[in-house]
Amino acid sequence: MKKKSYLDNPATLKIDLMLRGLRIADPLVKAWACGATGIDIMLPGRTIANIPCSEGFTAASPYAIRKRGERYAITDGTGEVEVSLVPRPKFYDGKTSTGVSFSKIAQVHGSLLVITPSPACEFFNAKVECRYCAGNFDRTGKEDAVYTVEDVVETVGAAIAELGSPVVYLSIGFSRDPSGGMEFLRPYLQAIKRHYNCLTAVEALPPKDNHWIDETYAMGADSALYNVEIYDEELFKIICPGRATLIGRKRYLDALEYAAKIFPSGTVSSHLIVGLEPPGSTCQGIDFLTGIGVVPVLPIYRPTTNKALRIDPLTTEIIIPVYKHLYKAVKTKGINLNWVRDLSMVTTPVELKGLVEGAGKNVSLVDTFYGTRLGKKAAWGMSTLRRKLRVKGTHGQSGH
Amino acid sequence: MTVEIDTRPLWLIIALRALRPIFFAALLVLFIALLYMPAPAGLSPEGQKAIAIFAVCFILWISNALPLAITSLFAIVLVPLFGVLSKRETYALFGNEAVFFILGAFILAGAVMHSGLSTRVALTIMDRFGASPKRLILSIFLLAAALSFLMSEHAVAAMLFPIVFEISKGLNLKPGASNYGKLLFFSLAWGCVIGGVATFLGGARVPLAIGILKETTGKTIEFSDYIIAVFPIVIALLFAGYFIMTYFFPIDVTDIDKAHNVLGKRIKTLGKITYMEYAVGVVMLVTILAWVFLGKRFGLAGIALSSVVALFVLRLVRWKDIEEYVNWGIILMYGGAIILGAALDKSGAASWLVNSIMGGWSDSPVVVFALLSLLTIALTEAMSNAAVIVILLPVSIGLADKLSIDPAAMTYAIAVPAGLAFMFPMSTPANAIAVSSNYISVRDMAKGGFIMCVLSWLVFNLAAAFYWPLIGMGYLK
Ligand code: SF4
Repeated sequence: MKKKSYLDNPATLKIDLMLRGLRIADPLVKAWACGATGIDIMLPGRTIANIPCSEGFTAASPYAIRKRGERYAITDGTGEVEVSLVPRPKFYDGKTSTGVSFSKIAQVHGSLLVITPSPACEFFNAKVECRYCAGNFDRTGKEDAVYTVEDVVETVGAAIAELGSPVVYLSIGFSRDPSGGMEFLRPYLQAIKRHYNCLTAVEALPPKDNHWIDETYAMGADSALYNVEIYDEELFKIICPGRATLIGRKRYLDALEYAAKIFPSGTVSSHLIVGLEPPGSTCQGIDFLTGIGVVPVLPIYRPTTNKALRIDPLTTEIIIPVYKHLYKAVKTKGINLNWVRDLSMVTTPVELKGLVEGAGKNVSLVDTFYGTRLGKKAAWGMSTLRRKLRVKGTHGQSGH
Repeated sequence: MTVEIDTRPLWLIIALRALRPIFFAALLVLFIALLYMPAPAGLSPEGQKAIAIFAVCFILWISNALPLAITSLFAIVLVPLFGVLSKRETYALFGNEAVFFILGAFILAGAVMHSGLSTRVALTIMDRFGASPKRLILSIFLLAAALSFLMSEHAVAAMLFPIVFEISKGLNLKPGASNYGKLLFFSLAWGCVIGGVATFLGGARVPLAIGILKETTGKTIEFSDYIIAVFPIVIALLFAGYFIMTYFFPIDVTDIDKAHNVLGKRIKTLGKITYMEYAVGVVMLVTILAWVFLGKRFGLAGIALSSVVALFVLRLVRWKDIEEYVNWGIILMYGGAIILGAALDKSGAASWLVNSIMGGWSDSPVVVFALLSLLTIALTEAMSNAAVIVILLPVSIGLADKLSIDPAAMTYAIAVPAGLAFMFPMSTPANAIAVSSNYISVRDMAKGGFIMCVLSWLVFNLAAAFYWPLIGMGYLK
């Protein structure tokens, strides 16, 4: 049987590359990747992808990257497609005035500038960490590992000076704080908003009370993520014991539903990891989330720590219908697609246009506009105006 | 400050925001039109200006487009600016005795609350007398009323709310579903509302009404006379209130031991009664006796302020402690309202309004009295009761003059019903606090409240017709 090639469609190529990884033979690229777990590569159609290249499973990948004169190409053995390496941001080489390297504080992933001010995740202390967790988080959450607000603000400033308007993405691990981590993120978020005209997203845990979701919006978050990760109830309990016992799947879904009513359309999302549950249940998750106005974001499981968790077999042929389903679901529910876009770590609904028949292959004018600097400024302006109109402080009524 | 997110469609929010400037522009146009239109016969130029200012303030008060106190300040600016009264006269009116009485009452109530005396009394009474579900409801109801005889009903509601809320939680009552939960908060809200009309101390509206009466006619109402006239009405309403709430929401619990655990725990944390509580209690008692027996001689404000001085001489409170209890907004509002009332009267606008608008209602004092009290009750359900007084009283006093009704009696007809706000959360803070518990819905409140409104109007008019003559009061001069 002829081997299927995905080279001619950037959306499927991105999915296949993210699933199978990339072999790096070229010493120059190796040096450029600099030991990172994934490298950011610009595929045709300005599709950016963070492709695993150092994990064990990548050794069996049919894909390799080669240098062709001044350019680069990815080959699958049957053909090749021209790509470009996303340059390493220059600000990574700088340091804050207290001497912390900018690259330690923030990482650029496509249009996102990802910052995790504290590496603590208390799931580890309670021994209920997510079983797929790559352990990015310092398990003890030592005090000295928390970046100060000033350091973070300086880093964001350096990134904005170089990149224009990235979306500043603040994330936090689990803590027992009823605000889901928002009380901790508040000074960071507010300082960033005070200093720069940029959009922000927060990845936090569902707070105990919905009023914290109101607060999250009011304090300046333009987008919110509460990642349920696994939709299937039983698998959720097994794979995410901390989330299941200390927060509960219902609370995740309720918080997402409420947040979707507070935040603008398309700005509330939740990860559903592809490969940790059967595709059918991911599709059910997609239906549920889009039904409540939430954008499902589907990262593909990279088996770095726990290979046994991954469903088997997991192939691009199995995954593609799930992504097609995602595109159709968000389109049918009329959810705005302009927020969750240009992400290197996941395939976004905007990129899936080329995958679904009748969806129109070309990127629309609006899509292009929101990708530009001006578009980003306009998005920031609209988002700020919306917040001004929607947020009210409540004062005690002095009546009689 | 907590945030709230307005989730209405954005177009609606934008439209509503745009309405505000349109509203103010329209108000300005109306003001100018009223100022410069040809004056109707019988209305002096000052009277016309006073009516224009009154109309603007009236709209601002009922629309709540500006805080009530700021509307009052606006009136204070406009009255001398348009020459209705001189500057000297306008600002001197702010020094009205009623304003200082209100200030004194706020500080005294603040001292009682700060000392912890009011909380102790509340907890002890509920614990002692609330042995059964029925008696607990009764004790909260009567306690809220009795405390509102002595201090602002809003302060009483705010003070008792956390205790009642803890009781409802302790009893595991389901918000919205439990009848007993509803009864707990109805007894709190209605107790405060009914008790709040019993004396001058339940709210600042009676002193305000008396301030307007004094500025326009030179007459006044004594502390003890007021209590004698109103107390039987309060007793009747307390009976009616209890029966109406238990009729609509029959008691659905049998055991309230857990409520006593909550009260017991709270009482324990208070420890034994302190010197401060004793001393503040004595000052308060002496003050009330002085109001009753020496009010005529020394003036209510004089007594209130003397007690305030005594509190500080005895070092029972510090300014810092009571500052938060003084509602300066209300004081500003009342000062402005008195000025506007005087402006309407002195410019002849009030009597012109009476003749041209209310003149044709009826020549019967009983009918006019009944209609005005009905109008007051209806208005107070939807707007601030102080605003109701300032809108209706100056005109009503003018009408009293025309129909030979005693202006003091007319003052009762507005001041007492203005406090009887039973129906909506926006009617009075006590209702708002009760609804905020989530045990009572706005619908529940409107249902029972409507019957209470009708009943209280009937009781008030029956008392005026049959009881007041017995104590030497009457409609007629
Ligand atoms: S929430 Fe789960 S995935 Fe995230 S750091 Fe904690 S354990 Fe790891």
